[in-house]
Amino acid sequence: MRCYNCGAELTINPFCTNCGADIREYRRIIWTSNQYYNDGLTKAKVRDLSGAVLSLRACLKLNRTNIEARNLLGLVYFEMGEAVAAFAEWVVSKSLKPDRNIADDFMDTIQSNPGRLDTINHSIKKYNQALSYARQGSLDLSVIQLKKVLQMNPNLVVAYELLGLLYLQGEEYNRARRILNQALRIDRNNTRVLYYLKEAEEGIAARYSGDPGSSRRRRSAGRASADAITYTSGNETIIQPVNSGDRGGSSALLNIIIGAVIGCLLMLFLVLPSRIRSANNKMNDQLKELSDEITEKDADIEEQKKTIASLQSENNELKGSIGDLSGESGMAERYDYLAEAALNYIKDPDDVTGTESMLALIPTGSASANAINLEIETVGDLDPAIYSQSFRSLYNYLDNDVSSRAARSYIDKGKQEFEDGHYQSAIEDLLKATEIAPLNDEAWYYLAESYKQSGDSIHATQAYSRIVNEMADSEYADKARTNLSNGAAADNTNEDQAGNNDTADQDNNDNGEAAAPDADADLIAQALAMQALQAGAGADTETGAE
Amino acid sequence: MIDFDEELKKFHPSPEVEDAESTIRTLDVTDMVDLIVHLEERTFTQ
Repeated sequence: MRCYNCGAELTINPFCTNCGADIREYRRIIWTSNQYYNDGLTKAKVRDLSGAVLSLRACLKLNRTNIEARNLLGLVYFEMGEAVAAFAEWVVSKSLKPDRNIADDFMDTIQSNPGRLDTINHSIKKYNQALSYARQGSLDLSVIQLKKVLQMNPNLVVAYELLGLLYLQGEEYNRARRILNQALRIDRNNTRVLYYLKEAEEGIAARYSGDPGSSRRRRSAGRASADAITYTSGNETIIQPVNSGDRGGSSALLNIIIGAVIGCLLMLFLVLPSRIRSANNKMNDQLKELSDEITEKDADIEEQKKTIASLQSENNELKGSIGDLSGESGMAERYDYLAEAALNYIKDPDDVTGTESMLALIPTGSASANAINLEIETVGDLDPAIYSQSFRSLYNYLDNDVSSRAARSYIDKGKQEFEDGHYQSAIEDLLKATEIAPLNDEAWYYLAESYKQSGDSIHATQAYSRIVNEMADSEYADKARTNLSNGAAADNTNEDQAGNNDTADQDNNDNGEAAAPDADADLIAQALAMQALQAGAGADTETGAE
Repeated sequence: MIDFDEELKKFHPSPEVEDAESTIRTLDVTDMVDLIVHLEERTFTQ
């Protein structure tokens, strides 16, 4: 113990040996303070928290530097749910004794769990709000709030006290008793809780004493005593009823009838309406279920219809595909053409025109470029998307070997026919030649000449144009250009036609009709010729410029 | 019989965390030793 005046260590003397201050009262105060501390510690150990708070506060009033007492007071506050009060005590304790103070540990433990601290703070706020509600008269709201508070902070004793008080005010004694008993588990000797609990117990007792059942029992007991004779025989007490058995049969019958009538009325007014209501509810539920089922079925039907429609369209597509594969222009037919071409090639490799004619029946599948309007389909590669690799290999093999020879054969034949004056036959053969070899200038030239001689000025002009435009370096280009500049076949048609009327083609009636003078055809042919010449001139200019 | 209003007056709002600083500042830490020192000083002055 140190002197309060100078801080020197005190001895057993009643005064300070350093400054001479009288320390008798001081010693008493310190001793009393320690007594209070011991008392508070004892109470805290037996969970008399409110009693411990009182003792420890008294202790600190006597000696504020009693650090153990202050720390213990903080702990007790914290156990009662009063976290802020606990913190306040520990902070003061820390300021009085900064070193080696257990309050540090307490604060660190709590601050290391911010969630818990936040929950406690929320619970305190809600408690204050509940108190405010109670003061404003909103007891129901206050009760709701306090229940939440106790869920968050089950140690907040003041919340139990307030909730108990509110239950007492609402005459809910059983609830009040239950809540207050919970509070006693935390603070066993809380005077206020005990006071409220006593009130609750009294309320419950009063309710039981005013119970109609018990009063009925008491009344019946009294009537029994009035209607019976009680006497003692030996150790037994005998109660003998007076006038038992003579109760009046007519009144009993009347009671039964009245009871039956009341029963019927109860049935009519209470039971039947509820039964009818429940039956209606049940029926409504069933209707609702059926309606739901119908809706589901409708949705299913709609979905099935959509499925059928999609399946039908798919079926039509498949039918079309089957038609494509098996029809006249189908794949099966194309395989037949290829097989026939191959067979023909094997039997007679020199019959190139026969083989080529079979190959020509197989469409390439790629976009065909019609040569002007001559309906000549150029020979292209087979479409890999349509034809298999083996099909294309065989086709290409045959085509490569046969096409050039076939073209030559057709050209020779066409030329011979042209020279013999059989223009239609020449046109047919030369068309086949141009179909096989689209850039063969000789074939095109004799084709144009054949058209010209047969009187088809338009096709003749087109054929010449093709030579001029696409085969400008050909030896036939100049001749073609001359023909075009001379008005193509148009001017010469009539003369040539006249000269050829007695030729072998004269037996062809169609040819004779086609050769008839036609001013429109001439005009078209001239226009085409002009167009081709201009185009050819433009191409030459560009080439020269380059 | 409990007087509800009177009992309610005995309840006070619990200090919240936000008020902790002011709670600590207003904490009365004066003790009996302080009073003795004060009395001693007064006696000495007189």
